[in-house]
Amino acid sequence: MQTFFIGFFGLAAIVFAVAVFRTSSMMRSALALLFSQTALGALFLALQAEFLGVLQIMMMATEMSIMAIFMVMFMMDPGGLGGMDMSHQKRLSMIAGLGAVMLVSAIAAYTRWQELASLSQAAAADEQIRHLGRELLGRSMLVFETAGITILTAMIATTAVAVKVPAENASHES
Amino acid sequence: MNPDLLLALITGAALFGIGLYGVLSQTNLVMLMMGIELILAGALVNLVAFWRFLHADSYAGQMFVLIVMTVMALEMAVGFAVALARFRARGSVEMEEAQELKG
Repeated sequence: MQTFFIGFFGLAAIVFAVAVFRTSSMMRSALALLFSQTALGALFLALQAEFLGVLQIMMMATEMSIMAIFMVMFMMDPGGLGGMDMSHQKRLSMIAGLGAVMLVSAIAAYTRWQELASLSQAAAADEQIRHLGRELLGRSMLVFETAGITILTAMIATTAVAVKVPAENASHES
Repeated sequence: MNPDLLLALITGAALFGIGLYGVLSQTNLVMLMMGIELILAGALVNLVAFWRFLHADSYAGQMFVLIVMTVMALEMAVGFAVALARFRARGSVEMEEAQELKG
């Protein structure tokens, strides 16, 4: 049953990911990416990573909604009614993409993963959250705190980049 | 070989390949960011699959996933800030028109 759900949600994620680059409407691209990421969240649930699955769905739903708003802001034709082509070097990109898929799949297929395995049973959802909490506030605390500081730095940097410079300051800067 | 692990890893490989195609072929900055999101999503699938099928007892694997999710959100935020600045300066986020960035 688990194999079926992993296959089903994995396939759904791939199909929607392909749809992202096959439509000339950027609005549809954003929605396809949202569905692809949601399918990934469901795949995480099928892999018994309940917390990560729910987090993925919640984060990506918000992120893709913001992306859709930016699409409408930046595009002359967000609905894609003009059928505008926004791509270049398609052949090279296709070869690189297919080559990467084949190479990574071959590595996945020919590596003896079982030799690296230590345990095959995942704990129940509530146990997992308790263990993850202990990990976050224990051994991985420095990593967790670093992520927090990185978010703060990125917030300041993005605000500095995005805020419009008033005209009188702009003349001094240039 | 665990078939579930292989299935998950092939899903990750496919998402990585599709993302790479998007990054190389798209000319719009927002579409490029979508490609990067897919590449990172491929990494996420691999990390969750490795945690589940190889080291379900070690929660450092889930920690990695949280860090990659943070990177995804930050990439999006910084990308949109750059897109906004570019749109203000040039009225477009088409990367074909950004020839002046060439070294």
